[in-house]
Amino acid sequence: MQEAVVRAQAAPRAGSERSKRIRRNKWLYAMVLPGFLYFLVFKYIPMYGLIISFQDYKPFQGISGSKWVGFAHFERLFAEPDFLRILLNTLTLFGMNLLFYFPVPILLALMLNEVRIGFFKRFFQTLIYLPHFMSWVIIVSIGYVMLTMDGGIVNELLESMGFEKINFLLSPEWFRPMYIIQVIWREAGWGTIIYLAAIASVDTQLYEAARMDGAGRLRQIWHITLPAIRSVIIVLLVLKIGDVLELGFEHVYLLLNSMNRHVAEIIDTYVYTAGLQQGKFSYSTAVGFFKSLIGLVLVMTANRLAKKMGEEGVY
Amino acid sequence: MSKKGSVLLGAALIFGLLAGCAGGNDNEGGASPSADTGGSASAPAGASAGSAAPSSPDKPAEITVMLPLNTAETPPDTIKSEVEKLTNTKLTYQFFPADTYEEKLNASLATGSLADATYLKNQATFIQMKSAIRDGQFWEIGPYMDQFPNLSKLKKQVLDNTKVDGKLYSLYVGRPLARQGLVYRKDWADKLGLKAPETVDDVVAMAKAFTEQDPDGDGKPNTIGLTDRNDLIYGAFKTLASWMGTPNGWGEKDGQLQPDFAFPQYIASMDVLKQLRDAKEMNQDFAATSKTDQIKLFTGGQAGLYIGSMADVDSLNKDLIKNVPTAVLDTQALIKGPDGIQATWAIPGYNNVVLFPKSAVKDEAELKQVLAFFDKMMTPEVANMMYWGVEGTHYTVEDGKAKASDNQELTEREVKGFRDSVIGEPETNGMYEGYFTLPARIHGEELTAENEKIAVNDPTAALDSATYTEQGEELQKLITDASYQYMYGKIDKAGFDKAVEQWKSRGGDKIIEEFNAAYKK
Repeated sequence: MQEAVVRAQAAPRAGSERSKRIRRNKWLYAMVLPGFLYFLVFKYIPMYGLIISFQDYKPFQGISGSKWVGFAHFERLFAEPDFLRILLNTLTLFGMNLLFYFPVPILLALMLNEVRIGFFKRFFQTLIYLPHFMSWVIIVSIGYVMLTMDGGIVNELLESMGFEKINFLLSPEWFRPMYIIQVIWREAGWGTIIYLAAIASVDTQLYEAARMDGAGRLRQIWHITLPAIRSVIIVLLVLKIGDVLELGFEHVYLLLNSMNRHVAEIIDTYVYTAGLQQGKFSYSTAVGFFKSLIGLVLVMTANRLAKKMGEEGVY
Repeated sequence: MSKKGSVLLGAALIFGLLAGCAGGNDNEGGASPSADTGGSASAPAGASAGSAAPSSPDKPAEITVMLPLNTAETPPDTIKSEVEKLTNTKLTYQFFPADTYEEKLNASLATGSLADATYLKNQATFIQMKSAIRDGQFWEIGPYMDQFPNLSKLKKQVLDNTKVDGKLYSLYVGRPLARQGLVYRKDWADKLGLKAPETVDDVVAMAKAFTEQDPDGDGKPNTIGLTDRNDLIYGAFKTLASWMGTPNGWGEKDGQLQPDFAFPQYIASMDVLKQLRDAKEMNQDFAATSKTDQIKLFTGGQAGLYIGSMADVDSLNKDLIKNVPTAVLDTQALIKGPDGIQATWAIPGYNNVVLFPKSAVKDEAELKQVLAFFDKMMTPEVANMMYWGVEGTHYTVEDGKAKASDNQELTEREVKGFRDSVIGEPETNGMYEGYFTLPARIHGEELTAENEKIAVNDPTAALDSATYTEQGEELQKLITDASYQYMYGKIDKAGFDKAVEQWKSRGGDKIIEEFNAAYKK
């Protein structure tokens, strides 16, 4: 009884406190609102559509009229003879992204940071992030023109130096290197922006002190710059892992052909050719749903690891 | 951390994250189904506008039309307003780029926003649409056909090819049965003393000569024979295979229908291309070459042979003489295979069809109104307007044929978009045949007529197989991949047979069974 009374008294006080707090910060809440609405309208409400992955969805009948089929689409996916290969391809490309692409912007940012002439620094920074604004169609076309065996500059060069021509575009061995190099070329410069900003925030007194103690450039980078941006690196790493399966549908689809399909087919391209192109909405949704689940598991694992390492993580 | 620095860092993080989100959406555009349907749902929103009450006969009927666009820009209203006047209609055209038309079609189907008259893209999309047709989403128009004198002129054989379970749902856009042939550099052949090829061996010999004997006379080994692309059907392969005696899609073997790749001629045809590629007498990267790049090799003066539609010779010639003013082209067909027999594959007489969704066309009266528009489209005045354009502006009449104006860009921009939607063909809708000036094209037209006599049809064109509709295209990917791998020497005959076995075990056996059951009926 007594407890209830206490709680009843406490409740209105807490409520008024909260509304007071909201009123005090109303502009902050107003600023949050558009972002909140964005996620609600474009990210949460569409999740309703996931229902169709458990249905035999017929557009004509709509979600309410379509037949329920339970896990049939998922069963079909797991029974697909190519399923394991496609999953492995996806994870391999993801692994290569982490291993080869992820460190590049950090290295670039460190290098740019050491450039002392302001003009050069700005010039190169602009130059290396320009490719980010090109579409994959253009980048893949440039790749084709350079690498084709029928008069491509790279192969002509190889031939003139006495080497055999290499079939870059059609050989399964070259698909992954080609993919990752194009990713690095397009995205690495853009990725440096955040790191450069983080580096700019490092207290310059630390460097002065280090110099007094006789630390060289490399020592300064190792003992001051890198530890200072460590948390930024980890946050970006966790976010990157969250995007695990966003490998760039367009990019892979454009590079894909009959000769490299067994290494190049990833979940995204599979969804497109086996599902969307043939109007199999339920199956496509089921595959996409599965992909999101993998992403969720990975990001949770990565976040837990980050916390174990004493960092804040993303949530 | 200095205060200024941390503000900067915060701003950069937010900026970076926003950019990251935007980038993410960018990718999703093609990948995630929900984003895609959401985006396109709004586009054809005005689709169901054709609900004007047909009360007074003078009031123009409102009709919406959805169709693929094969040019870069949406055409202006020049032709549309003329057609509206001629047919007493108010037309709303919704053009969507042909490259992504299937997606648009599926999305519009899913959201019930198709137009009154919905064109598909080609025969392959028609096969995909069959399950939706069977679900009863489109009007069956067979029973209404005899009320429309012009529509009933359409060729019965072609209409039969477009039937689903024996019922007619669509009108077809006609195309000559067999335009496939060879386009080659006559100036090179003359220089090297080669006659027009008559057998597949002649074609191979010509490719060899074009590669080795320096036909352009610059003393450098910079020419090849054949230029091909990553398309087994409309590229060189299927045409070459049909010359070699491979059936068109499906053929009869021991009294049973079997897919083309089960025939020894299919293997022999792959061997021909493999031999050409191994000898560097064709472009080495053809499995990754787009049509644009394929044509560039030809119009740039590197390659001397092109196997595909002979109607392409006009545009090939136009671009080639810009680079090589002395070049002369000719067309050739009726090529004999190793056993001396002439054969060539034929399309089922249509290039595309138009369907009438029940979600847009609400009742019979409305359907008749829409069909009446198509009936009028099949009169010479309207068909000519939509196919050739405005007389005097886009074409002139010579010898009772239409001669396209020299201003090709104008025609391309204003007329091309409508041209691909004209129902029927000159014999049935009374429009002009084309008047050509390029000798190679005239020759090509003659050969097209000759081709019809030796044309091989696809026996399954009018047959149905539920498994094929459901899985056929996905399974075909196995065969396509294996065919390229065979031609590139990655797998041998045993490896190819293994792919065929996979095809069979994953559903191919059922397709064979179903087609044969339908064939026997």
